[in-house]
Order: sequence, then structure tokens, then C-alpha cells
Amino acid sequence: MPALIEARGLAKTYRLGRVDVPALRGVDVDVQPGEFVAIVGPSGSGKSTLMHLLGCLDTPTAGRYQLDGEDVSALAGKRLAQVRNRKVGFVFQTFNLMPRLTIEENVALPLKYRGGVPRKERKRRAVAGLEHLGLGHRIGHRPEELSGGERQRVAIARALVGEPAILMADEPTGNLDSKAGGEVMRTFEALHAAGHTVILVTHDPLVAERAERIIQIADGQVVA
Amino acid sequence: MNVFESLLTGLDEARRHIGQTVLALLGIVLGTASIVTVLALFGGQAALTQQYLAEVGGAGTVIVGDLPQSPTPDARALASDRLTYRDAELLMARSRTLDAFAPGWEFYPRYQANGRTFTGQVMGTLPDYARINPIIPMAGRWLSDLDIARRSRVMVMGWKFADSLFDDAANAVGRLVTIDGKQFTVVGVLEREEFYFAAWEDNALEYRNERAYIPISTAFSQFTNHDGLSFMTLRAREGMVGQAVDEIRSLLYAQHGVEDFEIRPSGSFADGDSAEFMLLFNYIFLVVGAVSLFTGGIVIANILLASVVERVREFGTRMALGATAGGVFTHVLAEAMVVTLLGGLLGLALGTALTGTVGYLMQLPAVVTPAIATLAVVTSAVVGMVAGLYPALRAGRLSPVEALRYG
Repeated sequence: MPALIEARGLAKTYRLGRVDVPALRGVDVDVQPGEFVAIVGPSGSGKSTLMHLLGCLDTPTAGRYQLDGEDVSALAGKRLAQVRNRKVGFVFQTFNLMPRLTIEENVALPLKYRGGVPRKERKRRAVAGLEHLGLGHRIGHRPEELSGGERQRVAIARALVGEPAILMADEPTGNLDSKAGGEVMRTFEALHAAGHTVILVTHDPLVAERAERIIQIADGQVVA
Repeated sequence: MNVFESLLTGLDEARRHIGQTVLALLGIVLGTASIVTVLALFGGQAALTQQYLAEVGGAGTVIVGDLPQSPTPDARALASDRLTYRDAELLMARSRTLDAFAPGWEFYPRYQANGRTFTGQVMGTLPDYARINPIIPMAGRWLSDLDIARRSRVMVMGWKFADSLFDDAANAVGRLVTIDGKQFTVVGVLEREEFYFAAWEDNALEYRNERAYIPISTAFSQFTNHDGLSFMTLRAREGMVGQAVDEIRSLLYAQHGVEDFEIRPSGSFADGDSAEFMLLFNYIFLVVGAVSLFTGGIVIANILLASVVERVREFGTRMALGATAGGVFTHVLAEAMVVTLLGGLLGLALGTALTGTVGYLMQLPAVVTPAIATLAVVTSAVVGMVAGLYPALRAGRLSPVEALRYG
């Protein structure tokens, strides 16, 4: 089976004033479909930068990145936004739900940005996604009425609604207590068991242990 | 990003910053209201002026008069007979652009009738005068070609003179009136002419009720030995005013040898003081309106900038979910336009109410036409667009990574 993610010599250098700051210095990453991978490393190690590049939020300064058979390293702007919308589902540490929208409206957002999905269909898929994650009873509520764990599961439903190739989570348990964090991790495991590809960025070794494979980053390089 | 959601977020943002929004809305509302009111009054005033001009001679009317003589006239100027009846005959014979000719000579004799005496205006003219001016006999008839040919001693009286001499204007027909010792028979009385620019103003056409008309041939033969004219009222053929002015100028110049006359096509009449006052009043209101709109726009731009900075992470998230830079730009712009459109609609309502009140109190014809309403709403939307442009550009230019990292 071809690799879902195939990154070679991925590098990112930020320019701060007159100084070039290398955040990532040539990283090779392969992820197979259905894998559950954790990217770990201390803060400032470049793990977030790696996730941004793999998630098509940013473009590498050097290297080649093939995502689901498509070379995306040279894409930018609107084309990159489209790839993001179709191939990647994001889960953030702070949930990043729109406070003014109901949870099903939040979940439907990626379909809205995709365009061409009728309103009814968007709503149907959002509701199905929420029910699948055990949030059916919360439909019609706004994020502020939900607990942290529930909010993160709404965010996961939003990440999944567009049927992306990869699910990317950046410290998904960072803002949760251990009970809610445990629930969220079980959700990821269940998704992995159902065949989803999950990439998780964390600095918490206990969280990373739940993954199948750990990619350790330090000083912008893969160390293990 | 669909329009409806932008609208809702826009309204919601407005609610979250209710204090500033009220201020901004106030600016937009007052600005729009003031502009709507002014345009409505302006339109009413313009319609009124058009109406007045039609009363004193509608489109196509050309009035020719003597220019004041120079204090040091040259030989040519001295040799000119000035405006005469011969000029009128020349135009009647030669003009290809005119279709009505009403030369006029006015003088101020003593009227004697029914035991009363006073001094007032008499105008000698031709029947054509009634084709150019709204002359409507309320009793009797108007001057005829036969009156001209026979130099009849007949008179058509303006309403006011007839009314004050004979107690009731309609009674005047058939009565005798002596002017400067010559007896005339009243053959007609005209309808009263009235025109009010505003409720507090006098009848702008009252002077037309205070005169009598006699055949110009009679006037020359009975009261004078010259054929000089006070004016010529002419009417150009449909759409030929420009050519008529040129033709009159060249024909009269050939006759006079010097340009000692002035030609005024309709529309070039100076408006009264009242109109000028209204114009000034209108400009002040327009400026106030524009300033209010501008201020409202600045406040809205400020609110939006604050809201964009506050919501950087939200925009980052939207981009991560697949929103394009253009989508985010449109989103912010739509929010701005929602607020100003709301202000524009409220302003339109306020302006309509204001127009009604001012129009009623000042007895002015003022109507908020669909064109004015459209203009008001479009203007407020444009203010929103301009105000939202910079905040929207800033939001659209965010890089997703930096936006997500923010705050």
C-alpha cells in the first residue's frame, strides 16, 4: 500500500528580523494509512511546525511532501486551503469552536467551506457525526453549554465530517482534566480501531504511549 | 461562507460591542436621515422651481430685452433704435426656429373706473402672449387678431384689478375703464394666477394679477408715437432653443448694428432669494449628513479592527477548516455591511419621518422617492464596505499558523 504521508527533507526556516531561525532541519516522515502516530518533543523542538507542514497549514522552505499521492509542497493559498479542507481534519488544544454557532453548525463548517454540499446534507452529516461520538443529546446547544470533554468531541466530529485522510490533533488533552482527557483519548483509539489515520502532537508521554508509533523530535530533527 | 451566516455573525458582533455599535449606528442613522431629508426637500424645491418656470413660460420660452445703455455710448449704440416692434415683425417674417411671438410694451397710466382712480400697469401685446403664458379668461375672452388689426380700444384685465375696481372680477366684462383719459371696454377677465414657494411666502405671481392687457397696436397709436418694446416673449420650436438664440442674435444684430439686447432662454431665470436660501440650507444639511456618515464609518472601522484582533484565532481556525483568505475577507466585509445597512435602513425611516414633519410644518412639497431611498441604502452599504475594507484585508492576510498561535 502506498504511504499516506511521505515527507522527505522537510525544512522550515522562520525569519525573525535579520536572523533566520530554523524550526525544522530536514525531516523524513512516512505514515501508512490507518496508523496512529504520536509526534513528541519538548516545546520549541519543532513538533508543532512539523504538524503545520503535514497539515498543510504552512509551506516548507525546503523538502518534498506527498500527501495521499499528491505533491503538496508547492501549493499555496486557495489550492492549499482546498487540500486542507479535503484531506486533513484538525483538533486543537483549545477546541476552537465558534461560540456563536450551535454544535451542529460548528461541525458542518468544513462542508460549508468545501462548497457544493447542500445545506440539508451538511446538517444531516453533522448530526450523524455528533451522534456517532455520543453527543446526540447535545444537538442545538452552543459550545459554552458543554463540558470541556464534550467540546473536544464536538471538535473531533468537526474534524471528521469531511471524511479526511488524516486526523491531526495538537495537544488534544492539554486543556482537559484527566478524566475528560482519558475519554478523548479513548475516542481517538476507537477511531483508529475503525481504520482512521491519526497523528497526534503532544509533550505528554502518557498520551504518546497510547499511539502505535512515536516520532520524537528535538532541535528540528527526528531523533527517534 | 454564506451571506446569512455573515449576517448573523455581523449582528452578533454588533450586539457584543453594543456601546460602540450604538454610537456608530447613530452616526450612520443621522447621516442617512439627514441626506434623505435634504434630497427629498431638494427634489421638492426643484419640482417647485420647474413648476414656477412653467407658469412664467415653460421650456422653449425665450425672452429678449434691452441691455442697459452704456453711460458712454458709441455712435453705433446711439444709432440703434433699441428693441422695437419692427424687430418683432422681422423675427415673425424671417425666423425658422420660433413659433410664437409676443412683443410687449408696458406703461403705467392712471386707471379710472367705477368712481375709483389708481395708477397701475398696462401691457400692450399680441394674442400670441397667451400661447406662451398661462392666460386663462375666467370671464369674457382674450385679445384677438381682429383687435390688433382694428386697433380696438379693448382691454383684458388681470384678476386683482378687476376684483378691486368692480367688487367682483366677473362683473368687469362689458364695463368701461379709462386709462390716461382714453376709454376702453373690458372684454375679458383672467383667472387669478397663484404660486407659493412656501406657505409663509406671498403669491409669487401676484404681479400678473395686477395689470391689464390691450392690443399692442392700440397702445402705440393711443399713448405714444414710438414703437419701442419693453420685451419680446418668444417661443422656440420643439428642441430648438439653442438655434433660436443664435438666430435671434444674428437677426437683431443685423437690425441694431450693435448687441444692445439680451436673450434669456427659459431655465436661465435667476431663482428668487427664497430658493437661494433653501439651497444654502440644503448644502449645510448635506455636509452635516456626510460628516455623520464619515464619522459613523470611522467608528465602525474601529470596532471591526478591534473585533478582528480579538478573533484572530477564530479566523485561523476557519482557515484550518478550509476557509480561503478571500472567504475570510468577505466574511469581515459582510459584517461591516450588515451594521451599516441596518443603520441605513433606520436612517431612511427616520429621514422619511423627518421629511414628512418638515414638509408639513413648512408647507413644502417634499417626497422621499424610490430613487432617494435606494441611494440612501446604497450609500450606507458603501460606507460599510469602505469601513470594512481595511479590517477585512487584515483578517484575510493572516497566515493560518500565526493566527492559530495567537493569544
